[in-house]
Amino acid sequence: MAVHPVIASGRDIRLDLFRGLALWFIFVDHIPTNVVSWFTVRNYGFSDATEIFVFISGYTAVIAYARMMQREGWVRAAARVYRRVWQLYVAHILLFMAFTAQIIWVSIARDMPSLIDEMELMGLGENPYRAILAAALLQFRPVNLDVLPLYIVLLAAFPFVLPAVLRWPFAVIAVSLALYAATCHFDWNLPAYPAGKVWYFNPLAWQVVFYVGTACAVLGPEIAWLDRYRWPLCLLAVLYLCFAAFIALSWHYNALQEMTPAWLARQIYPIDKTNIDILRFLHFLAVAWLVRVLVPADTAFLRWPVFHPLRRCGEQSLLIFCIGTFLALSAQIVVSYFEESLLSQIVVSVAGILVMCAAAYVATWFKSGGSAGSGRTPSTAEAVP
Amino acid sequence: MTLRAWPWLVAVLALLLPASALPQSMTLCRAKPELLDLGNSLPASRKAIAERKQLRIIALGSSSTSGYGVSNPAYAYPAQLKMGLDKALPGIDVDVINRGIGGQDVEEMAARMQAEMKENPASLVVWQTGTNAAIRQMPLAKFERWLRNGLALGKSLGADFVLMNLQYVPAVVAAPDKEAYEKIMAAAAKEYDAGLFRRFDIMRGWYQDGMPYAQFVQLDGLHLNDFGQKCIGKLLTRSILNSLNGP
Repeated sequence: MAVHPVIASGRDIRLDLFRGLALWFIFVDHIPTNVVSWFTVRNYGFSDATEIFVFISGYTAVIAYARMMQREGWVRAAARVYRRVWQLYVAHILLFMAFTAQIIWVSIARDMPSLIDEMELMGLGENPYRAILAAALLQFRPVNLDVLPLYIVLLAAFPFVLPAVLRWPFAVIAVSLALYAATCHFDWNLPAYPAGKVWYFNPLAWQVVFYVGTACAVLGPEIAWLDRYRWPLCLLAVLYLCFAAFIALSWHYNALQEMTPAWLARQIYPIDKTNIDILRFLHFLAVAWLVRVLVPADTAFLRWPVFHPLRRCGEQSLLIFCIGTFLALSAQIVVSYFEESLLSQIVVSVAGILVMCAAAYVATWFKSGGSAGSGRTPSTAEAVP
Repeated sequence: MTLRAWPWLVAVLALLLPASALPQSMTLCRAKPELLDLGNSLPASRKAIAERKQLRIIALGSSSTSGYGVSNPAYAYPAQLKMGLDKALPGIDVDVINRGIGGQDVEEMAARMQAEMKENPASLVVWQTGTNAAIRQMPLAKFERWLRNGLALGKSLGADFVLMNLQYVPAVVAAPDKEAYEKIMAAAAKEYDAGLFRRFDIMRGWYQDGMPYAQFVQLDGLHLNDFGQKCIGKLLTRSILNSLNGP
């Protein structure tokens, strides 16, 4: 059985660009009252930035580690993956620290003990020792700190799937779908803290997005066999996106809501996020297909300087994700301080994105200086998911 | 092709952009006064307040109680109830114990009723149920039997009860027999001398007043979002205070 010749050389800049976009969306959507979130995908369909982020993470994991495995062996590649898992873990714990500290600082500085009370209700004050242990075990993830633990679990399983996905990508898709179906059917999930809670993003279900992403990366150009059905698939995707947009907008406009037939509503609701409802997954696949058709990797506008900040953010995804999550909390506090004024929403959104971009440029600058001495091969260092 | 599509895309977005984002402000949080009448004077709670300066409440329920998907657990209605009662009843030691477990149905909650009440002796149990039964179409007779079993058991342990019925959200509105579950809950409340918090009617009022679902429901079409939870917490607090202060 031939191993797929992994990944033509040259970096697919769509990955960085759309991952950067997903990171911007995650930041903007995490501010509860934010008019700017009308520019993000979630208001026009079922899926949101999480799917984009997880899919691209799976895709880039193959790009970063497959060639390494073929050249240097499985052990080295697995070691590299676990080094990355460790980085993610450290980032998550640091983010947890910074996030908690921010709430405490605000409540002390602004004399708002209610914020500390809220922390207590998160499970931190009641039994801080247990909470810290649970945080270290990734079971305690207050507020918006759910995505990195999902990513950590998915990537930790990746070395064991990598050899299989390189040989039999379709088999991996099949197993992944089977696990997803079983998880939904038997209602499996991992335990969380406080007792009785489960993971908000269920890794056993969300793995389907990640591993379909890895399989797509392996199949790469081979996926061109689907082009025989290019136009029927495009038509289906467009129809489905229109349907999803109609439903999503009906949450905002009661007139559209009245037009939704009851039998249809009975079929589609609830659109579960914890176990990524099939409607969400199909919605993401439809978007991904249309992007593949409409925006080939060599499209000229991808290289426009306007998109440069997006690509930089996508390249530094871990750092930018952490900064975005941290800033979303600051933004939430600022917006509520200004009584949710429209101007404050727009200002904090733009300011947050500017900070994220600045951080991405600084990180890139650091890396370009540091890699010369460290002897790391730039291609792998650069492609780290 | 893509380049020429940009102006169109911008135009469509501009058209869809509503005048403002969904505000969190509680000025929108309303209900008709008659919907906030629990129909019960909560005698055990009154007694605990008068004799022991203490009010212990168990919030028993499924995902709405546990606060699934809210951006901060403090927004879940049990936490809001605690904050509201603390403010309204100075000098009284108020405690609200959250015993919401996502996905549970009436039979699982009735089954753990005794253990919960033994572990946390309470004067008042807020029992939120019915939604999961309605969307999974649990047979009505079975729903009724378990609800009554739970109420009979709970009442025999000496606590007041308030039943919180279904939430008015797309997933429930689409369920065929939702009104039947509601009726069963209302009848059982009357028979077992429990209060009834009419969440379904209250939330239907929001929708009929022109509030879009996105204001109070998460994008999954089932769970209450931050605003929905806070508002339900606030209205439940007001209902309970009405009962405690009433004749």
